Amino acid sequence: MAYSELIKNFEKVRAYMREFYVYGFKSRTEYDVRSARSYDDERRRLESWLGDCMRFTQTAEGKKVFLAVDSREARRNPFYKAWKAKSFTDGDITLHFAIFDVLHTPEVKKSLAGLMDEIDRLLPSGMIFDESTLRKKLKEYAREGIIQIEKDGRRVLYSRSPDTDIAALSDVIDFFSEAAPCGVVGSFLQDRQPEHDGIFWFKHHYITQAMDSDVMAALFEAMHGHRYITVDNLGRWAREVKTIRLVPLKIYISVQNGRQNLIAFQEKTGRFRSYRLDYMSNVRIESESCVKFDALRKALCQAEEHMWGVSCGRSSRHLEHVEFEIRVADDEPFIVKRLEREKRCGHVEKIDENHYRYTADVFDTTEMLPWIRTFICRITRMSFSNRTAENKFKADLQEMYRMYGIDGGDGHAVQ
Amino acid sequence: MLFSELYSAYYNTVAKILEAAFHPEATEKDLQKCVVEEAFSESVLTILPALRSGRWSLLHEDLSPVLRHRPSMPLTLLEKRWLKAIAEDPRVKLFGVEFPALDDVEPLFTQEDYKVYDKYADGDPFEDETYIRHFRMMLLAIKGDRPVRIRMRNRHGREVWVRFFPKGFEYSLKDDKIRILAAGCKFKQFNLGRVISCDFYDGDGPWKEKPKEERRRELTLLITNERNALERAMLHFAHFEKQAERLEDEKYILRLKYYENDETEMVIRVLSFGPFVKVLEPQSFVDLIKERLAAQKSCELR
Repeated sequence: MAYSELIKNFEKVRAYMREFYVYGFKSRTEYDVRSARSYDDERRRLESWLGDCMRFTQTAEGKKVFLAVDSREARRNPFYKAWKAKSFTDGDITLHFAIFDVLHTPEVKKSLAGLMDEIDRLLPSGMIFDESTLRKKLKEYAREGIIQIEKDGRRVLYSRSPDTDIAALSDVIDFFSEAAPCGVVGSFLQDRQPEHDGIFWFKHHYITQAMDSDVMAALFEAMHGHRYITVDNLGRWAREVKTIRLVPLKIYISVQNGRQNLIAFQEKTGRFRSYRLDYMSNVRIESESCVKFDALRKALCQAEEHMWGVSCGRSSRHLEHVEFEIRVADDEPFIVKRLEREKRCGHVEKIDENHYRYTADVFDTTEMLPWIRTFICRITRMSFSNRTAENKFKADLQEMYRMYGIDGGDGHAVQ
Repeated sequence: MLFSELYSAYYNTVAKILEAAFHPEATEKDLQKCVVEEAFSESVLTILPALRSGRWSLLHEDLSPVLRHRPSMPLTLLEKRWLKAIAEDPRVKLFGVEFPALDDVEPLFTQEDYKVYDKYADGDPFEDETYIRHFRMMLLAIKGDRPVRIRMRNRHGREVWVRFFPKGFEYSLKDDKIRILAAGCKFKQFNLGRVISCDFYDGDGPWKEKPKEERRRELTLLITNERNALERAMLHFAHFEKQAERLEDEKYILRLKYYENDETEMVIRVLSFGPFVKVLEPQSFVDLIKERLAAQKSCELR
């Protein structure tokens, strides 16, 4: 098939974008693709959509492609462009503009035959649509909410949905397109608005999450109807795709590690578990509702009291106690503020003028280790009920001393 | 659900072309300009040729539109549902705008459907009336290109007055705070949450003053891929401009650029990876890590 910059299926390009943006060190031959041409096509498409962000480097292993974006510099997420590359047929696009030209105001209502006649008169000869194509397109547009179907006696009439005035919302849409879930939908709305100077920039902005927008929207839809889903999930450790059935309960978004997780109830195991959105694909919403959805979500909210990240444990009977103390100099009140604002559960107490203690009971101590490491230089005591985690922390610290030459005041000490 | 031609760059570009074609004087160059501005870099090879050839029968040979009305499309249900969802976000109160009636629409998501679980707890008070008033004042000043004078509490807790031209806002998703970007003053930005009072300013000011250029620095890290450190680090640092290189034995080099003002934050972010991310360059950054480790060693943690 001839190359086109448009695509039918987003899934393949989703994987490439992640590889190029998050990693970007693989050469052409390492991509798990059916043919080298497939790689070339995807790379060419990405270059066409995201040319400004595309970079190349030549190494002994070959040419490597990567995407380099400082999201603080970009007012609009460049990856949204990929969502605007859906392919279509010549008939699709022609019919689209013709339908809305005939149905140019909500007051114009036409039967299928009437609409057909008008379209035939509008378009130059040679472009002919049959009734079933038109009916199918109108039904599709009714599902999208842009066409209304009503009955007048035995006649079915079609009209365009009323317009919605969003002229006053340009700043709101600019902000939430980057700061709210499924922001790509805001980007679709931005495309409908007149060109204007954006006034928002964003920091600590994980633009890569844009690639999972469709998965996220489907999960929201399932939650809305309290439905079960069946989804293909790439196992974190086994690295194989398995189809699983879940009750999706809540999406947990990180603004510190770039990950988005679904916490869901798996009936088979009777447990809550978290699943990475970037590992999920092909979300199918079932017709069956979960009657205990509200109770499950309530139980999850109660569990949040003991969740540091997305690990939601087996039950509150299996909590791990975490306690550590830090020293704070007289001129370092900001360190105490840090503890208070960065803790997600647990509590902080003052031991004496220069020492503070943090205590929590959590499902998984190991999730907390990266945060506790940020206090390296002032940790005076620690006590974890999970001894393995504590030993791991201390062993890691010893390894860091070794790595940086902090070994008993030898010649490698601080310069 | 989201991946539809209705939102495609091609449909939008064709709508812009048809709109332009309604002007009797529109030339092919004008129409081509729509493609360059709206679509992708290779779209010039497809869009206009498809319209010219009649494959998409929407333009006459003389480039006048086949349509009788300027192209338009109502909002889709998905777009309305997203709007309804953000209308329920507490931060929307900042803007003080009326949303269109969306009574018959279900929100795409609610505040109960998701949680940003690791944003800082001392975020800005988005529903506080004074804060909202300050935001709107700054918004007006940005739009009208007018200077303001603010009284604020600086980071040392002292009250100070500052005059400047607000030029935009920077929102940190992690801090959950808005900073006002400034020009015509020696500071680059101010925390909106620290503003005590503000008003338009009609007097003179040191408008020629420029904030010190915020320099970007390069950081070179060595990642050892144990305990999934590679994926964790690459995702964690994904929002920076960066480049990665693979070495041998599950080791990787990551080069990234950060703003010098964020150096302390970068130090603790690197520390959070423990022994799996080592700083190689610059030496000044290596020394910052060493200082912390030496201080930690003096804590005699057993």
